[in-house]
Amino acid sequence: MKQVASAFKSLFLLELLKGLSLTGRYLFDRKITVQYPEEKTPLSNRFRGLHALRRYANGEERCIACKLCEAVCPALAITIEAAPRDDGTRRTTRYDIDLSKCIFCGFCEESCPVDSIVETRLFEYHGDKRGDLLMSKEKLLAVGDKFESQLAADRAQDACYR
Amino acid sequence: MTEQQTSLLSAEVCAAIDRWIAKYPPERKSSAVMGALRVVQEANDGWLTQALMDAIADYLEMDAISVYEVATFYSMYELKPVGKHKICVCTNVSCMLCGSDDIVAHLRKKLGIGFGEITTDGKFSLKEVECLAACGNAPMMQIGHTYYENLTPEKVDEILASLD
Amino acid sequence: MATIEIDGKSYEAQPGQMLIEIADANGIDIPRFCYHKKLSVAANCRMCLVEVERAPKPLPACATPIMDGMKVYTKSSKALAAQNAVMEFLLINHPLDCPICDQGGECELQDIAMGYGQDVSRYQDGKRVVTDKNLGPLIATEMTRCIHCTRCVRFGEEIAGIKELGATGRGEHTRIGTYVEKTVNSELSGNVVDLCPVGALTNKPFRFSARAWEMQQRVGVSVHDGVGASVYYHTRRNEVMRVIPRENETVNETWLADRDRYSFSALKAEDRLTQPMIKRDGQWQAVDWETALTFAADGLKQAVQKHGAKQVGSLVSPTSTLEELFLLQKLMRGMGSSNIDHRLQQLDFSDQAQAPVFPSLGQSLTDFEHSDAVLVIGSHLRKEQPLLNLRLRKAAMRGAKCAFVNPVAYEFNLPVAQQLVVTPNDWVSQLAGIAKALQTSSSNSVNGLDSLLQNVSVSAEQQAVADALLSGERKTVLVGQLAQSHPQFASLRALAGAIAQLSGACLSYTNAAGNTSGAWLTGCVPHRAVGGQAESAAGKNALEMLSEGLKAYILMGVEPELESCVPAQAERALKQAEFVVNLTAFRSAAMDAYADVLLPIALSAETSGTYVNMAGTWQSVAAAVKAPADVRPAWKVLRVFGNLFDLAGFEYEDSTQIQAELQPQLMSLVADNAGSWKLPSSLDTAASQGLQAITELPIYAVDMVVRRTAALQDTQDALSAKGVHLSAATAASLKITDGQAVQVQQGANTVASTAVFDERVPAACVLLYAAQADSTALDSWFGDVSVKPVD
Repeated sequence: MKQVASAFKSLFLLELLKGLSLTGRYLFDRKITVQYPEEKTPLSNRFRGLHALRRYANGEERCIACKLCEAVCPALAITIEAAPRDDGTRRTTRYDIDLSKCIFCGFCEESCPVDSIVETRLFEYHGDKRGDLLMSKEKLLAVGDKFESQLAADRAQDACYR
Repeated sequence: MTEQQTSLLSAEVCAAIDRWIAKYPPERKSSAVMGALRVVQEANDGWLTQALMDAIADYLEMDAISVYEVATFYSMYELKPVGKHKICVCTNVSCMLCGSDDIVAHLRKKLGIGFGEITTDGKFSLKEVECLAACGNAPMMQIGHTYYENLTPEKVDEILASLD
Repeated sequence: MATIEIDGKSYEAQPGQMLIEIADANGIDIPRFCYHKKLSVAANCRMCLVEVERAPKPLPACATPIMDGMKVYTKSSKALAAQNAVMEFLLINHPLDCPICDQGGECELQDIAMGYGQDVSRYQDGKRVVTDKNLGPLIATEMTRCIHCTRCVRFGEEIAGIKELGATGRGEHTRIGTYVEKTVNSELSGNVVDLCPVGALTNKPFRFSARAWEMQQRVGVSVHDGVGASVYYHTRRNEVMRVIPRENETVNETWLADRDRYSFSALKAEDRLTQPMIKRDGQWQAVDWETALTFAADGLKQAVQKHGAKQVGSLVSPTSTLEELFLLQKLMRGMGSSNIDHRLQQLDFSDQAQAPVFPSLGQSLTDFEHSDAVLVIGSHLRKEQPLLNLRLRKAAMRGAKCAFVNPVAYEFNLPVAQQLVVTPNDWVSQLAGIAKALQTSSSNSVNGLDSLLQNVSVSAEQQAVADALLSGERKTVLVGQLAQSHPQFASLRALAGAIAQLSGACLSYTNAAGNTSGAWLTGCVPHRAVGGQAESAAGKNALEMLSEGLKAYILMGVEPELESCVPAQAERALKQAEFVVNLTAFRSAAMDAYADVLLPIALSAETSGTYVNMAGTWQSVAAAVKAPADVRPAWKVLRVFGNLFDLAGFEYEDSTQIQAELQPQLMSLVADNAGSWKLPSSLDTAASQGLQAITELPIYAVDMVVRRTAALQDTQDALSAKGVHLSAATAASLKITDGQAVQVQQGANTVASTAVFDERVPAACVLLYAAQADSTALDSWFGDVSVKPVD
């Protein structure tokens, strides 16, 4: 009896049809392919993309040069130099992130006591030259200024878990 | 500079300080600092200036900061000018329960000054103090070396009027 | 001997010791803030509460003397509950500003809060806020962070000897500060930064520049005084960020002078020389090392050919390493000249043949601290050797009698038995008086002293000093820098030696710099080769080289126009020389004028080497950082010089090879101060018309590095070391008022200066400060001067 069933299956290519039916189902199903860059997938508010340095609403930079991000960075991508500013506050004179070293682990953001260094949702950036991926303080602040509303909203959304 | 500072202390004051110094072993001159501060304060209308404290430090061969430490630690040394009559009102528990708040309010209104302040004519100054050990007759206040007890606003008026 | 039990284990202890000492000695961790082993016990932080069996309440381990059979529990629930509670109280008013606090990462409060604090504070009310004080250019304050441990207050009172900080007010209103607006002026003030367990007192020049965790710790030696303090350089990315003391009981204990702590910033001074420079046709040009070295060697060779090797001389700083000093004298002697000297601040060389192998303390610093009587001859010890003074203060506080013979009535931070203030001309007769007084009352004798002191009479003060020296077991006669630069140093040395011999005291010398002993040992003196072996023909000493003038000079680490005791002559001699090679870390306008080659050499943090301090302690260190740009360690430069001159014995590849060669030869040499002097045939008396000059090399001008440390130059000590100091009476006789512009004349030289009334200066004398703009044009540190007002 077993042999008969097996012969029947082989004769009518049942297993082949079974396989093809899956293919067929996807053929008529809703497509999941995203037409990047015209279309984009949704991103989490915790997405870890390009870094930014934020400012307070009054325009004062948040960073106080505590150097915790530099200490925690597992890839040693952050370099900070600090000095007292003219008004006596503790400020960075240099804040570099080498994006070619960065592994986007998000520890810097996690360690920051003043929510200064953050990671934006921006992942599609490039550098023409090698040095372009070396982010300076000015560049990072500019990124922060550009995305501030999004950054603030993302952090507000996450605040209850912190 | 040293001579100048010491000359701030009059001969009588120095003699009074010397009496305090005599109470302690010669190498412990600095022990006389509390007595010296009191003597000097009394001779200077009830308060101490920094120059006077420096003079005491010089006289007792101490570091000036050590004298400042003592003078700021004890509340009975005054570092700002006080009135001719320094009114010390107790606001500690017993007095408070027996109505020291009313006495304080009355004094404030009558003199027009708060704690730590001095009337424009320089006659009175007001000071809040802790328990002066006269709880039996609360509320109370001390003016000069005299205790005034079982106070009422009327009695306060009488007392103030009696002071010249 | 008592036995106590801590956490179930038995330990041996001496009666009278505190619990915390036994715990510390045995590695048992007890948290603490106010306790410090070098300070008195205050027991006011209460953090070290531990449970003691049969005691009703937890006891502070720092203030509980041990008793035999005591049982202590440091980790019991009762002890921990007490410690947790104290921690909670301490944190009530402590701000949560660790991210911006310089102490973050090395903070005792932070560390202990990790172990004993809670994650959330129960305290709801506002925290105490305290305004900051301005304590001067060295210490930054953030007094809100203060936890009132009073370590800084006790340091001032007990160690530094001047109480500048105090705790005013009480309870909630307690404030640590100076009460009145005033800077902290102690020469040891930086130590409060180390002592502060929190970030209330921090290092101002270091402020905000680095974190504890990103720095590496490298050993070093500070060279600015004879103590040669052991330090740690904290470096980051090949840059010295700060200096902290390296605990070394035989040298600096746990302290550092401000000079040692803050002078590192000169490594980055603006006038740092980073490239070899040569002067061609009067124009300076930066060149590579090869060009510069050949240029220098050719110039020197030419000078030797033209004028002979005896016309080449070398002046060297005793802050250089033993290796550098050794190679330089080897180079000089290889060229055929013994003209090498490090004693730029000496005027009288007449008895140099009798000098000790290396004039030094002649005893260990710990032994010095246990002296019962000390006579200091010619030293502003507090400013000259801050850490040696600290030892002397300890002795004095223990009851030692300290007497001083000084040209100026210096202030002391220790009980002074006697201070004889004598004009420079009277020093010899003063010491003769003391010697005479000793001669009559001492059982010891000195040959030939009788006839010498025949006509000397003894004053009451001299008798008092003599009596002080005869009391007690251990005694020291210390000859300071002012005596060593005195024009009659030979007589002073002999009389000091006689005084020491008569009283049974140890004859000691202070050393000007961290390697002065090393300079003597390696033969950086014209009359002795390595190891103190006498030269058959002595070369010219520093004074002769500068006053007679040579045709060529090699300078290493010195600015003779500033630090020599004949500054004007020095500048003249160097300018007149045909060829001057300057191995220097910095460049100055004066150097540009007299030098022909400037070779950039490494400073002490940047070079490996050995230093021998005034107690004869050898300290060898590796370079903490690599020298910047084209700067090279001097020993390498000298090595190449040796090769360029085709001299044998310059094949070293590593400075440790030089050290290995020198150590067996030199380390066994012992200081032979006693007996290394010779009585003069007669007591020379000096007379003078007009005013006698006294010149002091001020604390923050002792060497090239210190002179370029901006923070130190802003201190009160540096700012007050200017002008012509004279007493009001002297000034009145000259019709000079305080602060008036005056003209100082010495011989043919005049300088413009300002009069400063200073009652410490004796009559008919003026006190000048060396290495200042208003003194360098003078001919000599001592001798007659006239001062007149300028209209």
